[in-house]
Amino acid sequence: MLKVDNVFAKAGEKEILKGLSLTVKPGEVHAIMGPNGSGKSTFGNLLAGMPYVTPQSGSVEYMGKDLLSLEPAERAAEGVFLAFQYPVEIPGVNNMYFLRTALNAQRKYRGEEPMDSAQFLRMVKQKIKDLNMRDDLLKRPVNVGFSGGEKKRNEVFQMGVLEPKLAILDETDSGLDIDALKIVADGVNHLRSPDRSFIIITHYQRLLDYIKPDYVHVLADGKIAKTGDKSLAFELEEQGYGWLNK
Amino acid sequence: MVGLINNWMTQAEASLDDSKQPSWLQLKRQTAQQQLQQLDDPSRTLELWRYADVSRLSKSLNSVVAPSQSKSADSGETDLLIVLNESGYTCIGQQPEWLTIQSLVEMAAQDWQDITFDQETVVNLANTLLVQSGGLITVKTTQQPVHIKLVYDFADPEAWQYVRNHFNIAGGTKVHITEQHQTGRINAVNVYRLAAGAELIRQQDIQLNVAEQFVSYNQFDTAQNVDVVNMNHHIGGSLQHHHHVVNFNAERSKYKSGSINKSFDDNNITDIVNVNHHFKYNQSDVTHRSIAKDRSQIFNNAKAYVAVGADQTEIEQDLKNILLSPDAKIFSKPELEVYTDEVVAAHGSTIGALDDTVLFYLQSRGIDIEQSRDIMIESFEREALVC
Repeated sequence: MLKVDNVFAKAGEKEILKGLSLTVKPGEVHAIMGPNGSGKSTFGNLLAGMPYVTPQSGSVEYMGKDLLSLEPAERAAEGVFLAFQYPVEIPGVNNMYFLRTALNAQRKYRGEEPMDSAQFLRMVKQKIKDLNMRDDLLKRPVNVGFSGGEKKRNEVFQMGVLEPKLAILDETDSGLDIDALKIVADGVNHLRSPDRSFIIITHYQRLLDYIKPDYVHVLADGKIAKTGDKSLAFELEEQGYGWLNK
Repeated sequence: MVGLINNWMTQAEASLDDSKQPSWLQLKRQTAQQQLQQLDDPSRTLELWRYADVSRLSKSLNSVVAPSQSKSADSGETDLLIVLNESGYTCIGQQPEWLTIQSLVEMAAQDWQDITFDQETVVNLANTLLVQSGGLITVKTTQQPVHIKLVYDFADPEAWQYVRNHFNIAGGTKVHITEQHQTGRINAVNVYRLAAGAELIRQQDIQLNVAEQFVSYNQFDTAQNVDVVNMNHHIGGSLQHHHHVVNFNAERSKYKSGSINKSFDDNNITDIVNVNHHFKYNQSDVTHRSIAKDRSQIFNNAKAYVAVGADQTEIEQDLKNILLSPDAKIFSKPELEVYTDEVVAAHGSTIGALDDTVLFYLQSRGIDIEQSRDIMIESFEREALVC
């Protein structure tokens, strides 16, 4: 599904990714951990197409396409979804309108018929129920007045509605209490499927208690320094990242 | 602008001794003429015209574009449509019993409200000298809120039309008045007099083609317990200059206004709101959202004055602006002038571009960049919708 090959990239003027390589197959869950400033969020933003992050060399192949040559909206329509570390507020635009606009824009790109409001309403009501979330989320302006936990839940809800093929969760667990963490993790687990892959960027092992990764990678100084299974996350929890400098 | 006052004087000569006009109106005009003789032509040295292109007032509008199809003078969901043109007011449909209309020649001298225009408002003073159309509209009802739409629809797109509307809103009346531009180069003075307990929703909907112009002075005089909501849409035009003045002349009234100003091409829009808190326990809340594109220019100013002794006043001024191109300009100025202690006041102003992070957020959900920008602008405008 995704093949990242020796990618170098800058965030603004600063070189952050320095030879990152990673392969993700359909249905796999990859956790990316690493110290602050190692390039985790930059990697997520690079995949989603944030203009501030500019690739310098290397390649990213996604579903047989050159991902880096696509516009952010095209990447989304191809099935790439980034759950933001800091979801933005959009006053005056309610979630329903926003999500229907996004879904129909993606459907248009894929040559599918738009979903009418009745169909859409039925679908989102079912998603809300499946993901164990409250339906007042739909009527409120996007993220306006939401608590930190509500914003992260809204990201997972959007993911559920847009049904991406590759979901990147950028520190979705940060700032969540245990109950909110469980709701978010349950949402992600509900969306796991053989043809949907996840890249989960996190600082803490605790999220991985609820979402079982197939691989855990340690990102350091812009590239993957170590790869292992879930036990690597436990090692990091115990030992920290000091060993990376030895 | 050199010669503008002379031009006004020349235009006025023919009508000053018009025997059809009531003597009191001739007298008002003569007084305005005498005052104008003492004043200078409007220029950028005036605070109210500092960021407006005053030279456009005397420009020929040879390049007038036909009114856009989107402008329609239909009554929509209103209870009454009134068209104002060279012939005066025309009610479309039956005139309801809760409304009386008198033309300038029919109205009584005591119904004309004198306004103290000065050098700053010299362009509005010209309105008194040259006024041709308008009169007095009185609304008195205890029914559910009634909705009136007043449409400016003058046949001559080139010549300035000087319009004076007095709106008398009786005590306890709830009324929604929409003023809409259809055609014509308008210089309007609108005076809203609100008796105790009146509730007014007023909308000013001025959407102009690239060469059109509209100048307005709008005064709201409130008695006790009055509620005014003033929603303004100012879009396009060679020149739009709107000055709103609110006089709290008694206690416990509220004024809430929202302005959406949108300019593009070479448009020039000025939107000024002055709220005078002369008495205690009044509230004003002014919100502007302005968006400038291409080489256009917008000036926003919200000023609140609080007189000595006008305690327990509450003021909110919120002016936010977005520049969509490097050559567009916005000047934004919230001002407070407070002469008493017990006042709650907040004011703020920002000017910036569309937020890149929000733009990326929308795109990351599959919405293309153009539609993402449209959604952000719509979201920004909604913050100023007060009705």
